[in-house]
Amino acid sequence: MKLRLSPQTVLVLDAFLEQPEGWMYGYDLSRVTGLKSGTLYPILIRMAERKLLETQWETMEAGRPPRHMYRFTPEGLRFARANMTSRARGGLDQVALGLVEG
Amino acid sequence: MGAPRGLAERLLRAVIRLAPGESTEWATAMLRELDFIEGDWEALFWALGSATVILRHAAGVWRGWFKGRTKEDVGMNSTGKKALGVGLGIFSALALIGCAFAMLRLYLFPGLGLYRLGWTVIVIPEVIFIVAAVVLWRKRGPVAAGILTMALVVGLHLAVHLTAH
Repeated sequence: MKLRLSPQTVLVLDAFLEQPEGWMYGYDLSRVTGLKSGTLYPILIRMAERKLLETQWETMEAGRPPRHMYRFTPEGLRFARANMTSRARGGLDQVALGLVEG
Repeated sequence: MGAPRGLAERLLRAVIRLAPGESTEWATAMLRELDFIEGDWEALFWALGSATVILRHAAGVWRGWFKGRTKEDVGMNSTGKKALGVGLGIFSALALIGCAFAMLRLYLFPGLGLYRLGWTVIVIPEVIFIVAAVVLWRKRGPVAAGILTMALVVGLHLAVHLTAH
C-alpha cells in the first residue's frame, strides 16, 4: 500500500478530489477537512514524499510572500480514485449485508 | 498584530531556525499560512501544531543522519549499540544513586530529616530501578538491563553491608 489510509487521510484525499486538477493551500485544506495543522501537515508531507502530491510556491504580487500550494500528481489522483471506488464498493457491500440481515 | 499572533510568528520563526534544511520548506509553508488565518488565537494554535510537526519531521531527519553516521563513519554494529544502551542504563542508575546519597550524606535538605532514614533511602531508588526496567524492557532492552545490573549491585552491596554490621 502506498499510504496508510487513516480517517484523516481519507478526509484529505476527498478534499483534493473535490477539485482534482486545482491547487490548494494548507489553511484552506484545514478548513475544508476540519483538521488542525498538527494533523494535516504530516499527511501532506507523507503524500508528497510518496509522490502522490506535488507542491509549488505561488508567485504573488510584489511585497507579499509566496504561498505553498498542493495538488495531486497523476499517480496521486489514480490512487485517490481507486481508494474512493473501493470505499464505495465497501459501503455498498455493507448496505447489501444490512438488507440481507434486515 | 495581537500578542498571540506575534507569539505564533516568533515561535515558528524560531523553529525554522532550528530545523534542518530538509524541514525548512514545510516549516516556511506553515509560517506563510499564518497571514491568512483571521483569528489571533487560531493563529497561535496553528503555530503550536505546526511547530510540533516541524520538530517531529526534523527529529526524523536527525535520526536518519545519526543512523547513517553510526553505520558508515563510526561503524557501530548492533553489539555496540547494545553496549551503549547498557552503559546508558548504568549511568542513569548511578546518577540517581548519587543524588540519593547526596541528599542523605551531604544533608542537602536538612528539613526533610532524610539522615534519620539511613539505608532505607536505598529502597526508593531500587523501586525506581525496577519500575523503570519493567517499563523499558520491551522498547529499550539494553538500557533496562543496565538499570537492572545497577539495582543488583546496589542490592548486593546493601545485603553485604547489613550482614557485616
